[in-house]
Order: sequence, then C-alpha cells, then structure tokens
Amino acid sequence: MLVLTRKAGEKIKIGDNVVVNILSIEGGTVKIGIDAPREVNILRMEVLEQIQNENIAAASKDVTQISAAADLFKKKLSNEKEVREKKD
Amino acid sequence: MKIETRKFGKIEIDEQKTLFMPEGLPGFPGFERFILIEDPKSAPFCWFQSLQEPNLSLVVMSPFLFKADYEIDLEGFVASRGWKGVKVEDLLIYVVINVFEGEKDKKITANLMGPIVINLKNNEAIQVIISNSTYSHQYNVLEPS
Repeated sequence: MLVLTRKAGEKIKIGDNVVVNILSIEGGTVKIGIDAPREVNILRMEVLEQIQNENIAAASKDVTQISAAADLFKKKLSNEKEVREKKD
Repeated sequence: MKIETRKFGKIEIDEQKTLFMPEGLPGFPGFERFILIEDPKSAPFCWFQSLQEPNLSLVVMSPFLFKADYEIDLEGFVASRGWKGVKVEDLLIYVVINVFEGEKDKKITANLMGPIVINLKNNEAIQVIISNSTYSHQYNVLEPS
C-alpha cells in the first residue's frame, strides 16, 4: 500500500480523472472531497460490506423457509386490506 | 436452454431472459450470469439464480409490494451507465431479501440500500449501491406501510 502524508488543503491525484482533496482535519475526523467522473463509483467501505453481507445471507435460504415467509407476507397484506375496508 | 439449480433441480430457461452483471454481484466475485426464477410456492419472492453455480441463488423481491414510495434516481443512474435510449419503463427493480428466524417470530428484511436494477433493453443487471439516502440495508418488510 502506498502511504502519503498530507495536510489540510493539500490534494492527491489518482489516475487521469480523480482528485482527492483533504478539506479539514479535526479531532479524529478527516473531511475529504473527491472530484471524479460520475461513472466512477465512490463508496464508504462499510456500505459495500453491508451489501456483501446481505447478499451472502440471502443466498443461504431454502424454498421451505421462503414459502413460509411468503405466507407471512401475504397475511400482512390481507390484514392491511381488511383494516382499510373497515375504515371505508 | 437447461440449467442446473440446487433448489429446483434441472430447469428449462428462456435464453433471452438470462442476465449479465458487468460489475458482478458484491460478495460473489466471478459470477456474472443470472436469471430470475419465479416459483409459485415462494411468490412474491423470486430467486436470482446463477447460471454458473447451482448453489448460488439469492432471494429477491419487488420493493414496491411493501414500500410503494420507494424511490431511487433512475434517470441519473441511466445517464451514469451511458445507456442510450433506455427509459425508466425499461427497468425492473428488485431488492435482496433476508429472513431471520427469531425465538418468537420471524423477521423479513429488505436491503433498500442495494437494489438490483435490470435493464430489459440489454439484459444487464447492476446492483446499485445508494449510500446517500436514509434507506436501510435491513428494512423491516412486515412493518405496517
């Protein structure tokens, strides 16, 4: 890994189109501005990890479990419909 | 064409409906070809089945069935992909579903932060990651809407 030391107000250029600005450093927090083309995907790493974890968990379900969940969901919808009809 | 799946055995699929994920599926690097399987027993949930790995099948669902006001910036997304001539009506949206078996009751959650957008014009599927919204990655599907 390349390690650089930068001060607030300094910048880093990555490739041809990406510039990372160190905007401010306060306490333990660094504020960063990134200039990049819109097709470059910029993500907080923990968000990507959440998505990965949800995908991995969703791939471990079996049909029985999901049909039980489907029944539960359909029950919720019909309960809501009943409530609406009572209101009318 | 016929494909092998762990959940449904060998099944016949329409080759025209196979999907390509140019950016892959987070958590499963190397898997790029999928198909949506609708099974009456698990409806309204569907299966996002890999064509390459019979064991790889995610539970997904249309978010609008439980959250009618779910909204993502589809126009912006289409522009950022450079998809010419693609309208919002050409896109399908699914969200990844999880089921947790609690001691007393079951919980069903949806990942509203990472919808899978399917472009019916070119059969590409992309899992879009929305980090600038208040949507949860574990939205409670059974919550009264």
